[in-house]
Amino acid sequence: MNTAISRLGVAGSIALGVICLFLLAIIFAPYVAPFPEQGVGDPNIASRLLPPSPEHWLGTDAFGRDILSRVIYGGRVSVTIGVTVVIIGLCIGLPVGIVAGYSGGWIDETLMRITDVFLAFPALLLAVLVAAALGAGMWNCIIAISISWWPWYARMARSEVLVLRGQPYVEAAQVMGVSHPVILVRHILPAVFRPLSVQGALDFGPALLTGSALSFLGLGVRPPTADWGEMVNAGRAVFPDRWWIAVMPGLTIFIIALAFSMLGDAVRDAEKSGSHDH
Amino acid sequence: MKRRDFLKSATLTGLATAGYFSSTMFAAAQGRKTLTLAYPTSFPSLDPSTSFSNDNAVMANCYETLTRYIPDPETGSGTVSPLLAEKWESADEGRTWTFHLRSGVTFDDGAPLNAEAVKKSIERTKTLAGGASFIWDAVEQIETPDDMTVVLKLAYAQPMDVTVSAGYAAWILSPAAVEQDNEWFNAGNSGGTGPYKIMRNEPGQRCILARNENYWGGRDEDRFDNVVLEISEDPVLAQSMLESGQADWTYGLPYENLERMESNPDLDVVVNPSFQNLVGFMNTKKAPLDNVDVRRALAMSFPYDDVVGAGTNGLGSRARGAIPPGIWGHDPEAPMAMTNLEEAKSILEATGVTDLELTLTYFNGDKLEALASELWRANLATIGVKMNLQPMSWEAQWDLAKSDPANAQDIFMFYWWPTYVTPYDYLLNMFRSEDEPIYNLGYYSNPEFDANLDAAHELSASDRAASEQMFRDTQRMLIADYPAVFIMDLPNVHVVRSDIKGYVDNPAYAHVVFSDELSK
Repeated sequence: MNTAISRLGVAGSIALGVICLFLLAIIFAPYVAPFPEQGVGDPNIASRLLPPSPEHWLGTDAFGRDILSRVIYGGRVSVTIGVTVVIIGLCIGLPVGIVAGYSGGWIDETLMRITDVFLAFPALLLAVLVAAALGAGMWNCIIAISISWWPWYARMARSEVLVLRGQPYVEAAQVMGVSHPVILVRHILPAVFRPLSVQGALDFGPALLTGSALSFLGLGVRPPTADWGEMVNAGRAVFPDRWWIAVMPGLTIFIIALAFSMLGDAVRDAEKSGSHDH
Repeated sequence: MKRRDFLKSATLTGLATAGYFSSTMFAAAQGRKTLTLAYPTSFPSLDPSTSFSNDNAVMANCYETLTRYIPDPETGSGTVSPLLAEKWESADEGRTWTFHLRSGVTFDDGAPLNAEAVKKSIERTKTLAGGASFIWDAVEQIETPDDMTVVLKLAYAQPMDVTVSAGYAAWILSPAAVEQDNEWFNAGNSGGTGPYKIMRNEPGQRCILARNENYWGGRDEDRFDNVVLEISEDPVLAQSMLESGQADWTYGLPYENLERMESNPDLDVVVNPSFQNLVGFMNTKKAPLDNVDVRRALAMSFPYDDVVGAGTNGLGSRARGAIPPGIWGHDPEAPMAMTNLEEAKSILEATGVTDLELTLTYFNGDKLEALASELWRANLATIGVKMNLQPMSWEAQWDLAKSDPANAQDIFMFYWWPTYVTPYDYLLNMFRSEDEPIYNLGYYSNPEFDANLDAAHELSASDRAASEQMFRDTQRMLIADYPAVFIMDLPNVHVVRSDIKGYVDNPAYAHVVFSDELSK
């Protein structure tokens, strides 16, 4: 049976399962989290710094909040950051890359040099600089990561377009007098969109990881909103005596990022074997 | 590509670590005894005339004052002990003070201490008029009848023996240093009579001191040759430096970790009362916090006991107004706002204010401020008030507060410790009207309060009892106006390596280590 899932292999399927479970948990957070009000931020001073127990599976933090609930609610922020960053990255990178690749000449040169300027900075460092300038907050965090994210898509889109530009159906359209904008939108964009959207889906994990890194540095969401990176940072100061405060959200970041990475590899492998079949 | 970025960061971290070791290990390599103090904050200015921040840690080891204040935690009072002045007397009902200087004292540049040097030091501080220069406000004239005598003539009576012991703006500089500017001092130069002098200043990283060979107090062989004041803003790093023996002293570690450190035989946890308190300034210039009833409702919504209990493991205590115990003028009977959410809600309803949304700023590295802010936010939510928390770097938080009060924060979490031991310092800096806000960050302005405060201050030398009563009355006026939430009086918690001998905390000089008193 050559279904999509069986082509992912065992590791890919497990990863997909983990991601699906995680998505279900965050969508139904108010029903899944044992202490939803603590997940949102309400302190519970009487239960401060409790180790993992049957009541609090992952323990409680310095404010007495249930870490499992915080991890589930923190997932909402991480997913929002991951998805939005990739979408914004595509929205900027795709048009820039397509226009550059299709136009060639000085337009291509100009756009690609601008892209190079952004690529010259290490991505995380650029995001940290922008987030520090904008101040803390989820949307500032998203803007900061997006700024370091789009150039990759621009590069990718451009190289795809360079191949497509010489294809007979594009040249035919040009000979028939179809205008450039129409060619770009109707003939080039759909062909470029597919590989880029796959790449975007694979980038979701790294984007989420970068978001966690920024909030670990204090540039993410504002308290009391739960965020994995911020939770690890908060727990660091009382590590190793209260290891669970940092380890539990850290482990979550690790598992989710690993799941996305494994799924990404599986999808890539499946794509390769798929293309060999044809 | 990403991996390469990580490698880059790892390399940078490696280089930074190597830099740290190269600077701290230099003395060890030369067989010199080094004391390493890990400070959680940087030293913004090393100019002794204008420094008014955590830089007192450096100043107090390189410069000296005419006297030193030694608090007595048992009685809540203290004594003034001689330092650069051997003795002093006042006349003219506290309007004239004569200080007789210690002989045989030289500055680290070799110049002798004399009356002229003292006069020029005070004049430099008064002329620059920055930092805590207000301590010299009463001084009208400085006379030097002979080489070793300084006479201060005041506009109004003042306890100048205490004033000259201040931890800020009272340092005596060498005549050569007096001529220098801020840049010269921050480049790592000093010109004091203290047991150490600045050898190298690396802003934001560390300040390295070397023994002042000219020190008048002589040199005991078991004292330290060098002192490294290492800036370690990360408490985790400070704690691991201390535990591994890379640092000998630190403070500002999470209270949750004290138990672990107490059980470590290599470390001593030294807990003392401090003169430091935590307040939440309320923006009295901005509606609806310009309404005293709204401020009262907010004060009654604060979870005092929870913050003292959970925030400091019970080591702190509820504050009664702005003047903490141990400072004369402290009022043990002063009224305290009690947490009462129902009453807070009804007071708020009576004011007609609805849909109240406030912004609170706090220093993002401070766990106690974070806890106090979050617990307060949760309480306010139950009475329908939305509080947005904004953790910020101290500089950004302060800059915002010093901008237009109408656009500034609603609530500002703030620590105060005294410039010198007087109730005036607390009430003046935090609550007296200011045209350009510096530390009055709730922008409180009340001409009657100002007048009473000044009157109490002017009485402080001539009639201490009357002055004390007046300070208490003035503070009660303040408390009734709710310009701030008086949260708690803090404990001083310092952690010292147990092989360090002679460590005594002096709360009059917050977080200062008098390094020459220590040995190993």
